[in-house]
Amino acid sequence: MSVPEQPIVLSLQDVSISYLAHRGRVQAVSQVSFDLHQRETLALIGESGCGKSTLNLGIIRLLPQTGRVDRGKILYTTREGQVMDVLGLSEREMRQFRWAECAMIFQAALNSLNPVIRVRDMVYDTAQAHGRRDRAGVRNRMLDLFRKVRLDPERVFNAYPHELSGGMRQRVLLALGVLLNPQVVILDEPTTAVDILTQRTILEVLKDLREAMGFSSIFISHDLSIAAEMADTVATMYAGEIVEIGPVNELFYRPRHAYTLGLLQAVPKLSAGAQELSSIPGSPPDLIEPPPGCKFHPRCPLATERCRREPPPLVEEVPGHRVACFESAQVLAHSGEPAEEPVI
Amino acid sequence: MPDNPSGQPLIELKGVYRSFRQGRLRIPVLQDINLAVGENEIVCLVGESGCGKTTTGRIMVNLLEPSAGEVLFRGHPHSVLRGKERAEYRRALQIIHQDPFASLNPAHTVGQILSYPLKRHRMTKGRGGLRRRIWELLTLVDLTPPGDIVNKYPHQLSGGQRQRVSIARALTVEPKLIVADEAVSMVDVSIRVSLLKMLHSLRDRLGVAIVFITHDLALAKYFAWEGRIAVMYLGRLVEIGPTPEVIANPGHPYTRALISAIPEADPEVTRNKERMILRSEDIPSLTQVPPGCAFHPRCPFFVPGLCDAAVPPLEHASGFVQDVACFPLVQGLGLREHVAVKEPAVGP
Repeated sequence: MSVPEQPIVLSLQDVSISYLAHRGRVQAVSQVSFDLHQRETLALIGESGCGKSTLNLGIIRLLPQTGRVDRGKILYTTREGQVMDVLGLSEREMRQFRWAECAMIFQAALNSLNPVIRVRDMVYDTAQAHGRRDRAGVRNRMLDLFRKVRLDPERVFNAYPHELSGGMRQRVLLALGVLLNPQVVILDEPTTAVDILTQRTILEVLKDLREAMGFSSIFISHDLSIAAEMADTVATMYAGEIVEIGPVNELFYRPRHAYTLGLLQAVPKLSAGAQELSSIPGSPPDLIEPPPGCKFHPRCPLATERCRREPPPLVEEVPGHRVACFESAQVLAHSGEPAEEPVI
Repeated sequence: MPDNPSGQPLIELKGVYRSFRQGRLRIPVLQDINLAVGENEIVCLVGESGCGKTTTGRIMVNLLEPSAGEVLFRGHPHSVLRGKERAEYRRALQIIHQDPFASLNPAHTVGQILSYPLKRHRMTKGRGGLRRRIWELLTLVDLTPPGDIVNKYPHQLSGGQRQRVSIARALTVEPKLIVADEAVSMVDVSIRVSLLKMLHSLRDRLGVAIVFITHDLALAKYFAWEGRIAVMYLGRLVEIGPTPEVIANPGHPYTRALISAIPEADPEVTRNKERMILRSEDIPSLTQVPPGCAFHPRCPFFVPGLCDAAVPPLEHASGFVQDVACFPLVQGLGLREHVAVKEPAVGP
């Protein structure tokens, strides 16, 4: 699939999000820009606290009260070709936008389903809130989706959440998420805390759904291997910024940012033989008073005086591959043999 | 302390069963576990949640008693050890828990946390000795300079640092075996490797054996490359052997399924991997473990009348270095013909 030729569905322009804390403003996301094309899957990778979940909550405007989008635009193109800024929508329009245009599937499947009502009642409630009153039609569509996610449709439709296993609940959420045929689906760690074989089922089901329905997705994961398998485009986030974004093979085989390379060198592979891995020294920075220059410089083995002084801009070095690193040529030189000679 | 006659494993589980009661039900969590861990050895227990790997680890360090079967410490049943010998046995076995946020008392400083076991087991002499030992331990786990750490409370430390404190605490009593129960799964990827490397160097320097419990097969492979991997499914060991063999040439269909299901941090590899299709997606409940081989309802190589008739023992299969509990494999019926391989996914 040649992604860039598809029209853009969602375009983030210079989005910054902060939280109010006792000590001051926490800059959780700063100046994030990217385009999401139709049928594209974008994976956001990065460690806990790097801002990937905050960014997605910002897109559907579900930030907690202390959080706010300070700047930027989130432009969404409807199926009719109309472009709107999500940040300018009224609360009422927003309710229509969520789920019907952009659905979010959260991490903990058990907590996302109401334990005291049957799955079918949740389905009807959701449909009704979005103006779909044709119960038989909704039911048929739901059963069809349950079949697509390899669930026993009748049984699951009439079940309470506690009657379903964790993997089944996660698949119910996937099916429910796409019930209203959204153009964009945000998946927040959809396979965290599930077992390997269950994870495989969920990934396969997700691929089937994506293929059948043609939605675009933003995939949040701390697990690089899932990004490697599912994504067309991968974005590395560090301390609230996108430090590198590009096609999946570019990012995995020819990383240009020291942090991306560091992450890749920290993950064991099953298929390789004995492996030399390395971790990144230090820990992520304080987001209230981030270090000057490149935020990664205190942990970066390639940092120079310039990195400590000046924040590197996100530059398109190869078509479709943008990176914010002054030493990207050095990183690239090291990335040829990541398994043999770790630099970090 | 009983001497260690040569050849005796450090700890050995013999025919261990364990069940837990839930209301009127008895849930068999472990069935017939036979597993020996040698001095200075690395063994990884892998399997999905509920397979009994944590219970096995807890029985090893005597936090749980087996319902049936024996636990031998250097050849002596642990139940006959008394007094001083028993104290030494307890000291020799330590566990590191998964959650570094829950396993350290938030009201105590790092120094206090480390001093309690040292005092309780009279491991040091006087205040100076205690202080020196705490300094030494913190240095050992790379929490340096120790003076900066010793007066901190757990909430002032990062997840990785807390896990290092947990490890230092386990080391206070100079153990012979450390059971690390998912010890790095809550730590960020970028610092995980440094913790694993530290555990490795502790093993080399202090001669401890490590039982590493994880659900992450790739991590197990990396950590136990020179040791063994034991795969568990629904309370039983289904495969055990040297790590490179189990990973490169898995025998049991369950191990094969796991290896084929794992996504890899390499786009081409992970998208072109052969995937094994199971007959059922759902893991059976421990209250209704299927008869015979517990994996048979999901196994694509299922032979009716054989796999569902009796429980396959863990034994040698020709063509494999490791032991495997699978009748069709051991009897040489071959698993190849039945292999169901999915079309590789189309790349980008």
